[in-house]
Amino acid sequence: MHYFLNGNALLSFDTGFGFWVFFTTIVFLWAMNKWLVPPIMSALKEREDRIRESLETAEKALAEAEKISRNNEKALKDAEITAQKIRKEALEDAEKVRNERIEKATQDAEKLLENARLKIEQEKKSALNELRNHVAELAVQSATIIIKSELDKEKSRHLVDSFIKDLSKKN
Amino acid sequence: MIYVVRRALATLFFLIVFGPVLLASNADTEQNSAPIDVMGKVTDHDYFELIFGAKVYLPRMFYSGGEWYFFRDTYSALDSGEFVRGEEGGIVRADTGESIAFDLSITSHLIYLWLSLILTVFITFMAGRKYKKGIGRDSEPKGALLNIFETLFVFIRDQIAKEFMPKDKYEKFVPFLFTIFMCIAFMNLFGLLPWAAAATANLTVTATLAIITFLVTQLNGTKDHWKHVFVFPGVPKWALIILTPVEILGLFTKPFALAIRLFANMLSGKIMIVCILGLIFVFTELFGAAIGVTSGVFWVLLTVALYFLKALVALIQAYVFTLLSSVFIGMAIEEHNHDHEDSSVANAKDVALQNH
Repeated sequence: MHYFLNGNALLSFDTGFGFWVFFTTIVFLWAMNKWLVPPIMSALKEREDRIRESLETAEKALAEAEKISRNNEKALKDAEITAQKIRKEALEDAEKVRNERIEKATQDAEKLLENARLKIEQEKKSALNELRNHVAELAVQSATIIIKSELDKEKSRHLVDSFIKDLSKKN
Repeated sequence: MIYVVRRALATLFFLIVFGPVLLASNADTEQNSAPIDVMGKVTDHDYFELIFGAKVYLPRMFYSGGEWYFFRDTYSALDSGEFVRGEEGGIVRADTGESIAFDLSITSHLIYLWLSLILTVFITFMAGRKYKKGIGRDSEPKGALLNIFETLFVFIRDQIAKEFMPKDKYEKFVPFLFTIFMCIAFMNLFGLLPWAAAATANLTVTATLAIITFLVTQLNGTKDHWKHVFVFPGVPKWALIILTPVEILGLFTKPFALAIRLFANMLSGKIMIVCILGLIFVFTELFGAAIGVTSGVFWVLLTVALYFLKALVALIQAYVFTLLSSVFIGMAIEEHNHDHEDSSVANAKDVALQNH
């Protein structure tokens, strides 16, 4: 019972002592709140912020690098495809040009042949004409000879016929 | 060198073991009372006990009968003739016999409280200086002590303050929670020293700490906090007749529970240890010296086990006090969302919305 009734007892609230506890605790709390803890809080926060920021930056940079490399790969693939396309087109063009050339050459050759043929035909025609004129002249000459020689009709006819026969044989 | 250290340690051990024994024999002859003063180990004293049982008597100052009195220690107060020892061990006025109205004497528990507060401030100051230099701010924390400090500080900040308080307000209360935690932890750990006492085993200390928590809680309470005390939203008016007194009572039971929990835990630990060691004397008296000393091995082992438990409890109780302070403050400074009638239902709805 002694310890529960005494002024210095176990379960009693000692006002003077309580005042000391309250007063000193409040003073120390105030000092901690005002001067001691805020710099630590700010330092920790600064460090954490910086770590978070650098992590974020690193992640962003990594994503960027990945994007760039992906873009590069894509560009490379595109370039390859384009190169192949260009090569193919070039080959096709070359083939086309070759074919055109060949065709043109054939055509030219054919044209030349045609021209030659035409010329030959013309030459032939002119030669025939010349021959005809020549024959006609010869006929006139022969007629002249016949008239000059005053041969009988029978004989002259025979002469003409034989002449013409010879002529056709000649041809 | 090693020889000197060994010699010094042996001397120290000798003094530690025989100092209390000699003192106990003195006490026995003086008071002729129980071999161990159980309550004396936990109650407050007008002297500060040093390591070898040496006592430093502390100054007394008190207000009595309209006058302030200052004395070097209790004995000088008694010698002055103005005060005499009362029946219950305290000091009373010599002329009227009434007890002292307002006792502002420095006591042993107050010394331990001051030591704890000074240690807390000193540690924080040393750590703060390092942070100001840039260690821990620009680089990682260096050194074991700074790392331990930071572990504790970040633990208080993240696991206690941030966990139970609104995200935009918790920073304001970190200094309070950290100081309270460190101070209580130091006071509890001082109680582990055989010659020292835990200031938290004193109801006045725990009650005052609880009052400070109560003041911090109520002074920072939001409108919503008071609204929930006096006009509970979403409750029929007649129910307020019951609810309001319960809520008002709740304001005070919270710090009351804080004070009693810490006080009872710290008190019981010390009493348990002293009582179990006291069983050696009880057994000696009952069954003779041989059995008393032999059973002493068992009691000492049990005490060692209890000591580890006490060390654990010292930190756990500091944690629990800080945690509950944080919870109470967090509840008071919370801004409730009044769009919803029932907060738990509203939370469930919010979660459901977020998942969709």
